[in-house]
Amino acid sequence: MNKCKFEGQIDNYLLNKLEGGDKDRFEEHYFNCQSCFQKMEERNELIAAIKTRGAWIFKEEPAPVRKSFVPTFEKVYSYFSPRQWATVGISAAIFLVAVFGILPQFKKSTPQFYLSENEVVRGESLSLISPVIDVRAVPSFFEWRQLGQDVDYKIYVYNEKLLWTTSTKETKIDVPEDVKQLMVAGHKYSWQVRAFSAKGNLIAVSSRVQFQIKGDE
Amino acid sequence: MAVELNLDEVVEKYRPVVSFKVKKSLGTRTPDWEDVVNEVITQVIEKVKKGEFRGESSIGTYIYTITSRRIVDHIRQKTKVLKGIPEPAILPDPLDDAETRERARILGEAIKRLKPKFKEVLDLYYYQELSRDEVAQRLGISPRRVSERINYAQKLLRRIIKQ
Repeated sequence: MNKCKFEGQIDNYLLNKLEGGDKDRFEEHYFNCQSCFQKMEERNELIAAIKTRGAWIFKEEPAPVRKSFVPTFEKVYSYFSPRQWATVGISAAIFLVAVFGILPQFKKSTPQFYLSENEVVRGESLSLISPVIDVRAVPSFFEWRQLGQDVDYKIYVYNEKLLWTTSTKETKIDVPEDVKQLMVAGHKYSWQVRAFSAKGNLIAVSSRVQFQIKGDE
Repeated sequence: MAVELNLDEVVEKYRPVVSFKVKKSLGTRTPDWEDVVNEVITQVIEKVKKGEFRGESSIGTYIYTITSRRIVDHIRQKTKVLKGIPEPAILPDPLDDAETRERARILGEAIKRLKPKFKEVLDLYYYQELSRDEVAQRLGISPRRVSERINYAQKLLRRIIKQ
């Protein structure tokens, strides 16, 4: 649809920017051009709304109220006098020095035990005594170092899989006959002890020690 | 030779156009603008009935001429009458008519919902009455773009109001 050549003058006419002959020609035109008249009426309505309500329409929207940090700071600051604030500061400094500087020095470092390549357990050290190297005959007992009072020890003996396991409060346990019969000369075995507190919490794990029964030569 | 016209159609079509021209010339604050419109319409009907309209120009131009003359007469008459008379009290707002006021409110709401780039062009061009070039300069766009934005804003407003 072709645009009427007078259409561009609608705004100027409505804003009283057309004068003399131009104004007369435009007025005569809209008496003859229904399309221009309708567009002008619509535009006039828009301009009238803007002229009468422009202050409201274009007023700056208030920026969202931000919670100011400064009043909050002042409020907190006003709780104490400067001298009290100084005391609070010094106390806090002493507390931090105690927590991060002094107390760690009294704390024993906890060793960590590697159960496998992917598994690490932190806890107390649990050392195995016997057997820890190759033995000539099937061992008749397993022995390890004591780890305090009222500790439950759980022993595990493996060939390729778990061969035998049992619990005791002692630091030495005799191998039952039926287990002995499962252990054959020339084969490799390994064993491990885990220590549990009276409440059943794991507190230490020994390394897994391997030994071979060489047999009588 | 007189031209036969359907006067009802002529009146229906031209009353809004005549009203627009009269209001624009006299201002809506002139209380008797409606009387002027009625006088123009009456004159047109009488002249056409008397066969004075001979089709030498379009009926639109004919009515435009009658309207312009009547407005000039009205202003002359008023100037004579009002000489020496104190200024009249401020007349009611042109948007006092409830329907017009409501439409202006809806339009205002719709303008507020436009994107800032459309709102600012309406603000600068219609509210602050800057020239197209000044608006273009202020917004860093071409004058043609100013017109495009205004026309597009009008289209958007039409759509918003329909909703």
